[in-house]
Amino acid sequence: MRWLSRPLGTRAMGSLLWPWLCAASVAVSLLMLATLLTLLATRGLGHFWPASLEEVTLHSGETVIGQPVREAPLPNAAGMERLYFTGNRDIDGTRWRWVAIDDIAEKSVPDEIVRLERTPWGDFIGRLSSVERAGERLEGDAAWAFVTTALALPDSQRPEAQLHLTTANGQRVIQPLSGVTLFQTPNAMSWVQKTAAWSQRIWQFLSEGPRAANTGGGVWPAIFGTVLMVILMSVIVTPFGVLAAIYLNEIAHQNRLTRLVRIGVRNLAGVPSIVYGVFGLGVFVYGIGGSIDSWFFEEALPSPTFGTGGLLWASLTLALLTLPVVIVATEEGLARIPDAQREGAVALGATRLEMLTRVVLPMATPAMLTGVILAVARAAGEVAPLMLVGVAKLAPQMPVDGEFPYLHLERKFMHLGYHLFDTAFHGEDVQAAIPLVFATALLLVLIVLVLNLTAIFLRHYLRRQRGNEC
Amino acid sequence: MTPPRLPLSRQPLRLIHDRIATGLITAGGIGVLLAILAIGVFLVWETLPLLAFGDALSLNTLSPLAWGTLKAALAAMLFATPIALGAAMYSALFMSPRLRSRVKPILELMEAIPGVVVGFIAGLLLAPWVERHLASTLLVIVWLPLSAALAGSLWYLASARLRQCLPLSWAGIWLMPWLAMMATLALWLAPLMEQAWFGGDLRRMLDQQYGLDYATRNALIVGIAMGFAVIPSIYSLAEDALADVPANLMEGAQALGASRWQALWKVALPTAGPGVFSAVMIGAGRAVGETMIVLMASGNTALFSASPFEGLRSLSASIAIELPEASPGGITYHLLIFAALALFIFTFLVNTLAEVVRQRLRQRYQRLGGNR
Repeated sequence: MRWLSRPLGTRAMGSLLWPWLCAASVAVSLLMLATLLTLLATRGLGHFWPASLEEVTLHSGETVIGQPVREAPLPNAAGMERLYFTGNRDIDGTRWRWVAIDDIAEKSVPDEIVRLERTPWGDFIGRLSSVERAGERLEGDAAWAFVTTALALPDSQRPEAQLHLTTANGQRVIQPLSGVTLFQTPNAMSWVQKTAAWSQRIWQFLSEGPRAANTGGGVWPAIFGTVLMVILMSVIVTPFGVLAAIYLNEIAHQNRLTRLVRIGVRNLAGVPSIVYGVFGLGVFVYGIGGSIDSWFFEEALPSPTFGTGGLLWASLTLALLTLPVVIVATEEGLARIPDAQREGAVALGATRLEMLTRVVLPMATPAMLTGVILAVARAAGEVAPLMLVGVAKLAPQMPVDGEFPYLHLERKFMHLGYHLFDTAFHGEDVQAAIPLVFATALLLVLIVLVLNLTAIFLRHYLRRQRGNEC
Repeated sequence: MTPPRLPLSRQPLRLIHDRIATGLITAGGIGVLLAILAIGVFLVWETLPLLAFGDALSLNTLSPLAWGTLKAALAAMLFATPIALGAAMYSALFMSPRLRSRVKPILELMEAIPGVVVGFIAGLLLAPWVERHLASTLLVIVWLPLSAALAGSLWYLASARLRQCLPLSWAGIWLMPWLAMMATLALWLAPLMEQAWFGGDLRRMLDQQYGLDYATRNALIVGIAMGFAVIPSIYSLAEDALADVPANLMEGAQALGASRWQALWKVALPTAGPGVFSAVMIGAGRAVGETMIVLMASGNTALFSASPFEGLRSLSASIAIELPEASPGGITYHLLIFAALALFIFTFLVNTLAEVVRQRLRQRYQRLGGNR
């Protein structure tokens, strides 16, 4: 009660309370970060969990089968309504259904409801009535057993068959078995089965291409494109960045000009990425790419070969963008090496080249590695410049294939970040694509965070191993 | 150790190798630096044809975009600066060193979260939610600082044992559940307050009484999202500047009877002022150039309006949208490159200023006998 017994002026009160506001801003930042990551993790991973499907009978007699998504207040009346994901876009024309909660007469969770994923129409939710195989008709348990064994086989060995399905309102649908990619009865599954199905679907997401206008399937081409672009970029940026850093720190005379150049390089790290994109489009794509086209690919003109965005130009642009990161990190590493080491090497008769390659560079390796990893992390998350120099919504061909010359530098490629942007903002059914967008976002954040953490730990570990002087 | 004796005949070869390598490194280094320089040259060169078209046209097209850029950056800075500087002051001078070594890298990792992800969350989740719960959002923004002050006052009233369990040096962590609780409380109370004071719908009232339109994706959303992205860069630099203030200055002030806060306010902040200033400048540079967040969270309508509830379109977003479709050599192409030049010059100047100020500060610390 010290505070109450002694009258305090407003200024003293302020100096007591301000620290708390400052502490709160740390707490708020951490809270925002935690919220963002939790949101991404739950929504991104939760989508793959086989959610139970409800069968709802309305007062009007209509039945709806679907997965409850969320609830919201009714727009013009009291009460709530619930959004169901009902699938069956080929039959109903939509995948969603709002149901007012007061309209619901009966709700149940029957075990025999199936959920199919099929090409081309996406999800089907309903019941399996029978299976027709080579004129023979299987019903009941036989049908179930047949479907489960058939789907366990790889695509090429599956038998020809037709599934006879019934929707919630009794409409019959015939679905060839060859178009089915997933067959689930989520209500009948145990925890173990659900976990197995969950990990299988995550694997599908990572290893397959997008389907059904990005509302199904996976992101494998985007992962591949991102990784390939980043590898090419680091192959370009590492030697040049290291070269420039060695020149600035070891060879150039340390005068006013070098200091200015150093400040300039440092500042380039702060120049907006879109400016690099503009440079890449103007110089690499239209300038160099246009010239290459008119020299070597004249027969293909006016359709451009290198004169349009592509893998090579994207990697070059991002290499330029991340050059300052590598230069600054390497320079810091070089500056931390004591001059005694260099003088010692030279005193023992080494030339400058030998001093650099045998003494200085090995000591600066952790710094260089850190720089490259940070550059990779920055490049993996950067989207704006790519929109100008070569990313594609849906690349028809992968940039690497069996055709000569195997690596096609002029092809457009898919990128995780751009895939996310495109699906979320230009998709035809954004609502249905959002869960996959969350999963993509989670993947992107994980990649970038893991790269950054690797850089931090690598720096820490190597510094400790080599002692404090480097 | 004796130097290795090499046969005489190999000596000149080594020297020649050395000459060649030095030459190559010099050429490579200068080449890379020239390539970097080429960015500026290219932008200026491609802007020159614009002079032939006359400048009236370009001003009319670009000024709403420039306004949008400034508005977005201002909104982001209004949101980010207090939080980032508050966090920097707390973690540099109040936080326990053990906690600081954990929290600082975490907050710096925030910077690595790609702009697309932040923009996606802001544009597709935050924007519709805020549209439905405008009053709640504004209430939370006002309520959180108040509840932090409330926590502080309660702490001074609490018993000594409780105060030992929940020390100020760990407040950054244990305030998190408290603030989350307070935010939930505010969200629960907001509809009632909206009913009582604003006639049930704040948005309708804004529209009828003040003629303010409400766009789903607006400057408020951009401010919050981009603020989130800018916080770590301001925080990290400002924290470095504050933590490097020579300890003897702070100790002197406290020995003369200043409280910790007074020592921070009267001694540390003026000393580290240039560093804090340069941190804010670098944050502003980042906010001006950020593309994906503005593109996804702003609605991209080129408007001249100061209302925080209306959309905007920034220079960087227009470049990203329009440049791929603009035919090279056309007026749009040159205009957009001019926009890029403007962004380039602005960020370059701001960053140079910040860097020069930081170098001065480092020298000042050395004079004052800091540990660096």
